[in-house]
Amino acid sequence: MVQAFSLFPGVTLRCYRDDRFKQGCLSVQFVRPMKRQEAAKNALLPAVLLRGTKDYPDLRAITQKLDDLYGASVSALVRRVGDYQTTGLFCAFMEDRFALEGDQILAPMVQFVKKLLLEPVLEDGGFCKEYVESEKRNLILTLEAERNDKRSYAASQLLRTMCSADTFGIPRLGEKEQVAQIDHKNLYDHYKKLLSESMVELFYVGSARPEQVSALMKGIFGGFERDCSGMRIQTPFRDGGGSHARERMEVTQGKLCMGFTTPITNQSPQFAAMQVFNAVFGAGMTSKLFMNVRERLSLCYSIGSGYYSTKGILTVSAGIDTAKEEVVRQEIIIQLRKCVRGRITGAELNAAKEAILSSLRSVHDSPGAIEGYYSTAALSGLAMTPAKYMAAVEAVTVEQVAAAAKTVKLHSSFFLEGVSQ
Amino acid sequence: MMTQYPRLGESLYTKKLENGLTVALVPRKGFTRKIAYFVTDFGSIHTDFALDGKNYQMPAGVAHFLEHKLFELPEKDVTAEFAALGGNVNAFTSYDMTAYYVSCTENFQENLALLLEFVSTPWFEKESVLREQGIIDQEIGMNADAPDSQIFESLMENMYKTHPIRIPILGTESTIREITPEVLHTCHRAFYTPDNMILCVVGDVAPETVERIAVQVLGTEKKPAARKLRNWQEDMEHSGDSCRQMEVSMPTFQLGFKCESTGMGESAIRQEIIGDLAAEALFGESSPLYLRLYEQGLIDSSFGGGFESVDGCAMLTCGGDSEDPRAVREAILTRGAELAEQGIDEADFLRMKRSAMGRRIRDLDSFDSTAFRVCAYRLSDFDYFRFPQIYEDVKREELQAFLNRVVQPQRCSLSVIEPLSK
Repeated sequence: MVQAFSLFPGVTLRCYRDDRFKQGCLSVQFVRPMKRQEAAKNALLPAVLLRGTKDYPDLRAITQKLDDLYGASVSALVRRVGDYQTTGLFCAFMEDRFALEGDQILAPMVQFVKKLLLEPVLEDGGFCKEYVESEKRNLILTLEAERNDKRSYAASQLLRTMCSADTFGIPRLGEKEQVAQIDHKNLYDHYKKLLSESMVELFYVGSARPEQVSALMKGIFGGFERDCSGMRIQTPFRDGGGSHARERMEVTQGKLCMGFTTPITNQSPQFAAMQVFNAVFGAGMTSKLFMNVRERLSLCYSIGSGYYSTKGILTVSAGIDTAKEEVVRQEIIIQLRKCVRGRITGAELNAAKEAILSSLRSVHDSPGAIEGYYSTAALSGLAMTPAKYMAAVEAVTVEQVAAAAKTVKLHSSFFLEGVSQ
Repeated sequence: MMTQYPRLGESLYTKKLENGLTVALVPRKGFTRKIAYFVTDFGSIHTDFALDGKNYQMPAGVAHFLEHKLFELPEKDVTAEFAALGGNVNAFTSYDMTAYYVSCTENFQENLALLLEFVSTPWFEKESVLREQGIIDQEIGMNADAPDSQIFESLMENMYKTHPIRIPILGTESTIREITPEVLHTCHRAFYTPDNMILCVVGDVAPETVERIAVQVLGTEKKPAARKLRNWQEDMEHSGDSCRQMEVSMPTFQLGFKCESTGMGESAIRQEIIGDLAAEALFGESSPLYLRLYEQGLIDSSFGGGFESVDGCAMLTCGGDSEDPRAVREAILTRGAELAEQGIDEADFLRMKRSAMGRRIRDLDSFDSTAFRVCAYRLSDFDYFRFPQIYEDVKREELQAFLNRVVQPQRCSLSVIEPLSK
């Protein structure tokens, strides 16, 4: 059970108490509206905070502190959830009971997180210049390295193409051009604004009593003034028109991505049917796309679909032989039509449901999955526990899947065309 | 036999069945998820073996090909059946083992039985073998576009002269053309006998259940596995560096130091733990070298490394993106010489041990990693849950001796991929 505490206005702590695990986890997320002007700043900020604090001034001091805490980890946490971008830290640490006698981990961990968040190394009215510049370089390299993973590159190009009028096309970590405009001063100004104005979501999983965690966390956010007006709720996809784009690259394998829209979101009564449709159509090894395009016709090595439920966007992505582009496009549409006509076997329906149910059943089997499910659900407006969600999925019929499929319309596509080296 | 490990809050049941299969069970009360790993001591490097008095030399890539093909059964659609049972099934082939695993929250017994059935049933139709060549061609193509795989494969080629780790796990487009149903049958007979395999289950399951199903599906007959022919003479010197160009945004590299093979049993895991600590001491995130290289912009957060041990060879590796991989190598060698001269600080050593052990304990929350490690260490004849004891016993002097021996220019090879010159 998740217990929620409102620690201060706009600061919510959610605790999931569980003593089955060897490690606990804690996430701290500042919630921002996704915006082109600040996406890169939000992505950069945790990386800069993780470079040093007043007491732990460099990477080595930070790592040694984490080593002392039995190999605890702290990493940058940047998520995109519908209209929001979140920025903050994710920590994982061994449970106190496995430590040598007398050693504590949770309490010093929270103290350390406080230092990371609130006591950065400052100079000249801003963050440490050297840290900002070096993390800017790292972020730019990360964004450039996206090209190394052709599949994710093609997928993100598709979202850019589709979302000319929606912030959902902004990459999770922002864009290179925006990173270049950041300096140690404007990032520090942004940080101060973020501390004083943003909604904060805290999530803890572990064996400690929620009251104890709440008291510890109050120590982080109690020391300064905040004025946080509530966030607007998630909005549906804003359609700026579709297009079909392509790009040539020296790769052996082509990547085809097709983007579809549906009015069904996680707020719709048909949400569960849409999820089941996605599984029947393209998610997993029993889906129509996998069984037909890959297995029966050998047209691709990989193929799969994904459903972005806050926006009602469905994408299909396939690694194919460049010469087979047209036939793969057609075959994907043929499989979609089969779903629309309700040509779905009982076995397909069951396998699709089972795949979703199985992942929901195991949400409670790892601290990371618990944090991921509940904290993302809170932000995306999904008001269902895994148990409710499972009941909704179990009740879905073939007719409902077909009705959900019928709402799915091809919107845009992106093809990364392989040219021989 | 059930062994308790109170310090880890774990227990482990192990038994060798009449058919030779090693069964290992890690009970996890109160969890809905269950996972079964069915592993054979046969990987991509084991192409040469003796079976029934005859020597065989199989085409490269056969272990991986066999892994793909086993997913087919005569009158059953394996994938669809797992899906209907809610089983999430997958497999991988590494240099020295092949693992098949299923994870589920319901129907565990049926999922386990199906896993054991399809892995133990050789069924290779000619057309389907031909079709698979097409699918694996695509996988080889995908691999050819993946800088991380390319860089590692080049490094292995640089470092090893005869050990088959220098050949890609997937084989090549030409070697996989030599694979026939007969080749697959021979390899299956050679290495998929229960006596050469381990079944490890993690989850809220009773040992009797696992044993009963294993006997039901695999029978009680014990057949000997093939004898691996390991004609791999390796000295501790590499044969050069490599540099290739690919569609990447910045240079990326892997650096490897050749190490002595760890062998089997407790001394093997001890070597491995020392190797990991050496990586930490030399270039880990808490090392002075890491900080310096990071602050100089010579490495970024993609940098990482560790100790790898494979049947017949071992290595200390690190890599990541860097504008100047050669400067990183120089810095590591210089730091190695410095450490040899100054010695490792005792406080640093204790901190690194505590951290490494804590991370291993945290890692036990992962069912996959726990099942995998229990199997992998069992193949080296070691009980994985004894790792805290090894950490306690390992001495600073052992780490020092390892670093002094291994961090030497003649053992060190570099593999670089640079952006295409425009």
